[in-house]
Amino acid sequence: MSITCLHGGRIVDPANEINKIKDLYFEKNKIISKPPIESNKKINKIDVTGKIVMPGLVDLRTHLKNITGGQSENIKSGTMAAAAGGYTTILLMPDILPRADNPGTIQFIQDRILKHACVKVLLCGCLTKEAGGESLAPLGSLKEIGVAAISDCPRTTQNNQIFSKGVEYASMFDLLVIDLPRDISLSRNGSAHDGPMALKMGLGGYPRMAEELYVQRAISISKSVKTKIHLTSISSHGSVEMIRAAKEKGILISADVTPHHLSLNEDCITEFNPNFKMSPPVREEIDRNALVGGLLDGTIDCVSSAHEPFQEHEKNVEYDLSPPGVIGLETALSACYQNLKECEEFSWLKLISSMSYNASKILEINSGTLSVGSSADIVIFDSEFKWKYNKKNRLSLAANTPFENKEFKGKVEKTFVDGKLAFGIID
Amino acid sequence: MKSNMDISTWKRKNLLGIEELSCIEITQILGLAKKFKQEMKGTNLDKDYLRGKRIVNLFMEPSTRTRIAFEVAAKSLHADVITVAEQSSSLTKGETLRDTAMNIQALGADAIVLRHSSPGSPLFLSRIVDVPIINAGDGAHEHPSQALLDLYTLQDRLGSVRGKKITILGDILFSRVARSNFWALSKMGAQVTLAGPSTLVPKQFESMGAKVCHNLKEALQGADAVMLLRIQHERQSSSHFPSLAEYTAIFGLNKDRRKWLKKGALILHPGPVNRGVELDSELADSSQSVILDQVSNGIAVRMAILYLCTYKKGI
Repeated sequence: MSITCLHGGRIVDPANEINKIKDLYFEKNKIISKPPIESNKKINKIDVTGKIVMPGLVDLRTHLKNITGGQSENIKSGTMAAAAGGYTTILLMPDILPRADNPGTIQFIQDRILKHACVKVLLCGCLTKEAGGESLAPLGSLKEIGVAAISDCPRTTQNNQIFSKGVEYASMFDLLVIDLPRDISLSRNGSAHDGPMALKMGLGGYPRMAEELYVQRAISISKSVKTKIHLTSISSHGSVEMIRAAKEKGILISADVTPHHLSLNEDCITEFNPNFKMSPPVREEIDRNALVGGLLDGTIDCVSSAHEPFQEHEKNVEYDLSPPGVIGLETALSACYQNLKECEEFSWLKLISSMSYNASKILEINSGTLSVGSSADIVIFDSEFKWKYNKKNRLSLAANTPFENKEFKGKVEKTFVDGKLAFGIID
Repeated sequence: MKSNMDISTWKRKNLLGIEELSCIEITQILGLAKKFKQEMKGTNLDKDYLRGKRIVNLFMEPSTRTRIAFEVAAKSLHADVITVAEQSSSLTKGETLRDTAMNIQALGADAIVLRHSSPGSPLFLSRIVDVPIINAGDGAHEHPSQALLDLYTLQDRLGSVRGKKITILGDILFSRVARSNFWALSKMGAQVTLAGPSTLVPKQFESMGAKVCHNLKEALQGADAVMLLRIQHERQSSSHFPSLAEYTAIFGLNKDRRKWLKKGALILHPGPVNRGVELDSELADSSQSVILDQVSNGIAVRMAILYLCTYKKGI
């Protein structure tokens, strides 16, 4: 097999703090250093002049409900969508049927992944049985079979005793617990941010407080158990402040935000369009600004797609009856770039880091880097390319996107996973 | 149709809410309602404007007044009326609202009057079917026909509502009537105060332009009319206020508190009234109460709505 050279692009590699125009070489599945001139190996040159060359993105929250194929999103279509969005590693949430709360199911899903996935798929096991919040799942056995993290997401274990003991028990196996912070008693009928818009529209509110109380819970437990807890899909400006303060005290808390929370505010729900209904809901401009600021100053570690596919007949019903959740793998990078590039604190290193290297550090996996010797998981991004996301180019089998027909500037052109082209074409 | 009814500029196919209506549109509906009311009083008048039209009342939530008023209104205009209630429809077999509505359209409906617990469901339906959708109450969002009949009743008694202090008292948070009335009254120039316990009347209503008041005396003082809303104790008594008795003690309207109102101020209630809870029984039956006027005006207002929304269909 020949060596591939990505020629003329701007390399953005946060792990090595590189941001410069430089050639990148890989051979088979590994990134290599520039071969010596006397090397007689064939070099296959791909011209990427004017493009950004970055490590493959890492997602901490992907939901693919169906592992058996068919018309709804499955491992094949979901990972194709991931590759189209520049993701080379995704963490699959356990809300699949059957739920990933036992080693047998995990094994079954792993077999499916081997057969159908075109990007690397890591598994997240349930924290509690059936993600029901009543009793702990066999975390040690889940770790042995190979889960990368533990979570009940998109559910949230309400019982503080079970949650704190789960975190403590998981820490024995160095298992990361991911929590979607939400107090159900304060948000049971909440289908929108508990603000002026929901009040006007007569929708049940999901207040910031419902998130913030559980952010505080995670901070207190992390401090007490002295272990990492990752908070996913932060939406409230108060949460950002709490996480910032906790980090300053050295508490082992980390957090992510979704591209839609960075892009939208509650005004998007005025037409009762269920494709803007998500959990947590998008909130007010003060929250969006705090999330953008928190991501750029490092308070929020990374971006997660929160890709949650639903079929048309499931999602497109009366707004309050529609399940929360939107897809996002294919638009995440474009949406984040579009929303952050005008910020004063923006840098390519920060953006790429928040979508790849930082997530891999949280999972303690060796990816999100272009270091020599690491996997050739590489993305070519054309920051000038204008495009609209719609059914003509969508690879996801679901269409519940808040960005339907939105014009983006900047698109993933090619994605390599282990040196193999998983998305795009080579001329 | 008579030429003196200036409805030629009416463009809407659906009536989804008051928020989207202009003052002119509100005036058009109420003007036509007035005509219909006068015609109903007279004799020998032909009102078969909707003859041959099929109006479907699709009621997915219990309703007495609104459902009957729409039925009477449609029948008064000689339309054929079919009422579908949730218990008798295929929705109990798991059929979705979308499928039910598409079937109703296929069966030849000329308009659908929808009552549903989901906010925004009439807008949702209007995007699926071609027939006009009339919102008869969608969750806590809007109840436009109720607000229009309330406005009709107020204008009938007060002349104009411009500059008048009108207090809406009770469960505002969960009330579509309150929201639609707020839009209607404020568009027509009234000063609207929303009053009741802080848990049912969040301060955030001020962002819509309303005055919010948690003190009953202050809310009632100088009011030209007070609109009471039913306390839905089955829904809120556990978390939003301690008990019906406490509600009555702090926010119930009784004879003693009546004197805080402007003399002769009107008392409105969309029904059903919890006598002795939000409103003293004697006051409900007093000369200040216009509760039954509201009900009868509701027929003329709904005739106007049905007429306008099916107008383009070749009447």
